[in-house]
Amino acid sequence: MELSRRDFLKASAAAAACAAAGAPLLYSKEAEAAEAGITWGKAPCRFCGTGCGVLVGVKEGKIVATKGDPQAPVNKGLNCIKGYFLSKILYGKDRLTKPLIRKGDKMVEASWDEAMTLIASKFKGAIDTYGPDSVAIYGSGQWTVFEGYAALKLFKGGIGTNNIEPNARLCMASAVTGFMTTFASDEPMGCYDDLDLGDTFFLWGANMAECHPILFSRMIDNRLKNPNVKIIDFGTRRTRTSQMADQYIKFKPQTDLAIMNGLAHVIIRDNLHDETFLKNHVVFKRGKENIGYGLEDKFKFIDEAKLITFEDYKDFLKPYTPEYVATLSGVPAAKIVELAHLYADKSRKVNSLWTMGFNQHTRGTWANNLAYNLHLLTGKICRPGENPLSLTGQPSACGTAREVGTFTHRLPADMVVTNPEHREKAAKIWGVDPKKIPAKPTYNATEMFRALDRGDIKVVWIQVTNPFQSMPNLNRYRKGARKGDGRFVVVSDIYPTRSTELADVILPSAGWVEKEGVFGNAERRTQQWFKQVEPPGEARNDLWQTMELARRLGHGNLFPYTYPEKEIWEEYRKFGEGQGKDLAPYEAYTKARGLRWPVVNGNETRYRYVEGHDPYVKAGEGIKFYKNKADHYKAVIWARPYEPAAESPDKQYPFWLCTGRVLEHWHTGTMTGRVPELKRAYPNAVCEMHADDAKKLGIKHLQKVKISSRRGSIILTADLNGRGKAEKGNIFVAFFDETKLINELCIDAYCPISGEPDYKKCAVKVEKA
Amino acid sequence: MPVSSVVVQCLEGKADSVASQIAEFEGIEIHGVLPHDQIVAVIEADDITNEVDLVSALHDVKNVVSVRLAYHNFEDI
Repeated sequence: MELSRRDFLKASAAAAACAAAGAPLLYSKEAEAAEAGITWGKAPCRFCGTGCGVLVGVKEGKIVATKGDPQAPVNKGLNCIKGYFLSKILYGKDRLTKPLIRKGDKMVEASWDEAMTLIASKFKGAIDTYGPDSVAIYGSGQWTVFEGYAALKLFKGGIGTNNIEPNARLCMASAVTGFMTTFASDEPMGCYDDLDLGDTFFLWGANMAECHPILFSRMIDNRLKNPNVKIIDFGTRRTRTSQMADQYIKFKPQTDLAIMNGLAHVIIRDNLHDETFLKNHVVFKRGKENIGYGLEDKFKFIDEAKLITFEDYKDFLKPYTPEYVATLSGVPAAKIVELAHLYADKSRKVNSLWTMGFNQHTRGTWANNLAYNLHLLTGKICRPGENPLSLTGQPSACGTAREVGTFTHRLPADMVVTNPEHREKAAKIWGVDPKKIPAKPTYNATEMFRALDRGDIKVVWIQVTNPFQSMPNLNRYRKGARKGDGRFVVVSDIYPTRSTELADVILPSAGWVEKEGVFGNAERRTQQWFKQVEPPGEARNDLWQTMELARRLGHGNLFPYTYPEKEIWEEYRKFGEGQGKDLAPYEAYTKARGLRWPVVNGNETRYRYVEGHDPYVKAGEGIKFYKNKADHYKAVIWARPYEPAAESPDKQYPFWLCTGRVLEHWHTGTMTGRVPELKRAYPNAVCEMHADDAKKLGIKHLQKVKISSRRGSIILTADLNGRGKAEKGNIFVAFFDETKLINELCIDAYCPISGEPDYKKCAVKVEKA
Repeated sequence: MPVSSVVVQCLEGKADSVASQIAEFEGIEIHGVLPHDQIVAVIEADDITNEVDLVSALHDVKNVVSVRLAYHNFEDI
């Protein structure tokens, strides 16, 4: 019987799965036949921060297939369900293909020249009348390195304003300030290899099974092979992750701070700490306390750190007895003692993992500091298999937002605008007068949209993100955008969103493999891809868009490139050279499945700060936190207290509201919402609540409920039996659904150190609708 | 009609029973039960909506830990 193309395709599919699972290769001849006419190119996945490798199959100018990249060390040939839909996402029916200009209530098609002329005139007008700080750009951790770099260079080095922020401020900023205050260098010492090598995993408010499925699978694979592996899931909501954990430890929102101090208390009380490690590698500090919540416009905070002794630190921890922590958190005292001993067990390789539970927290920097404390106290850090690891939510939150430094206060390679030497170095690489780069940071993301609402910012360009769905206290910022009086909003995107609907100009962008790019993932892995298909219609990449604005504003000299991507890369990597942030020449990334920085002499670094792995640590030095010169190359254990949330449940608003993500959707659903099958698997946001709470209120499964906070209200369907199970007194709502803007209810309180808002805690009431 | 392949990770010792359950699903072909409790399956359905419903159904089968996707071809849609 003659085999059909369909049979060949099935053989090819089976062969790919067998290969990824490590089974003997089947059907190699049939698979080869199926591949005829398909050209494969590599790219990192464009969704979460894991950075899985994907092979993209193109036939006659169109993507026709995708594969998990068998050569990618991150995911070894397998993708999660979102990877499945990557290519489809580029082919949604409502792709933006032409620039659109607002004429009254209508968006009217325009040429690129018309759109860019209008945008440039608005920028010029605002800068001439109100000064450079009246214009702003708001991007994301989905910017490629080139796009983020060009925006940073134009705004700080050309226009002369620090008005640049990424949406990573809403997701990773507390991780950054956590790393900077503890180690004086952003990003982790360990890497994903720890998921294979460790045997004890503490997950803090991270639903890895849904939000980082491939990393979760690596950890579970480890456990399936090694029965000694333990997974402890701390959470305020029972999830798919909890189901797979050895222990699920529920705690009251915000008390993670107290629990971690309680664990530290027991570690020291029971003499489980590593004295030699502390003596050689750690200093102790205490900062300001009762630091506020950033609820007032133009809120400012500067921490003042004091060096303290180990004895002072012990005194600080004295109140955090297991019994006291139990009363705050609801975690039994005996459990706190047991887990402190597990953290410190010398025979165990312990890892801590977290994402938004710690970061989106009004004490997010502190939560990160306190997690590092546990690893520093026990000396379980920097060595293979035992590390703290801050996971990320966007594909280049690390590579672009953090490493390029697309924040108001930052410059590339951990440098800051407040440091004159850093400004000097940046200005020299950019070929501009150092005076051009303002020394004072302006607005964090929340403050940026407050400034737009007040009218202090007149013109804002939004690229690769959807703030008018994702900001907290959303009503205020949505109204602010359309107040008129000279305000002008430009949005570049691939689909219509809740942000494009508020725009004065919409620009159609190229997405993912419709352009050349570089992303950096959560384990310091930098990954490059080439353009593989043309964008639809007149869509153009954001790098071109930014450089075109630069040209029209008279800053074209900042971008004198013939091959912009490669030349930007070579210029950009000058910032990190010799600074422990070394990157390889561009060609190296075109071949490799990513390289983890620092890359020195062509070699990547799996583990930072440790002899034998990190080229910056000399023979005989063992472990050296070499970026923290001010503290004699030591890391910092911070005395950070428990302080309550900005808003806690009370009689009027008796429930905690926590927002988050689900497996089938990514962030605001702009891309995943386009794919009907994803919508079908999880079509609308629901209100997860505990059955006992529902019963008290007379609410039945799948009934409509009205949820209200002091800032807004929304009608949702109650889900008492969903994938996630809220604990008593808590409700959970996913934020992907553009028809149900849950963020209208969220409070715009933020961590005073990181500026990151808390989307996990505010007070709401629930009623039958 | 799209074609895809998945690797289904099962709890220890459960791969055979999961495989016999999911073999009953229309549109799923089992291509092997591997060591370490993994199953390789090929999925085909009339359209992607049905295909994805099958993947979601796999996720919900008892003793399934994860479903990961190896390959997806959608050239004729």
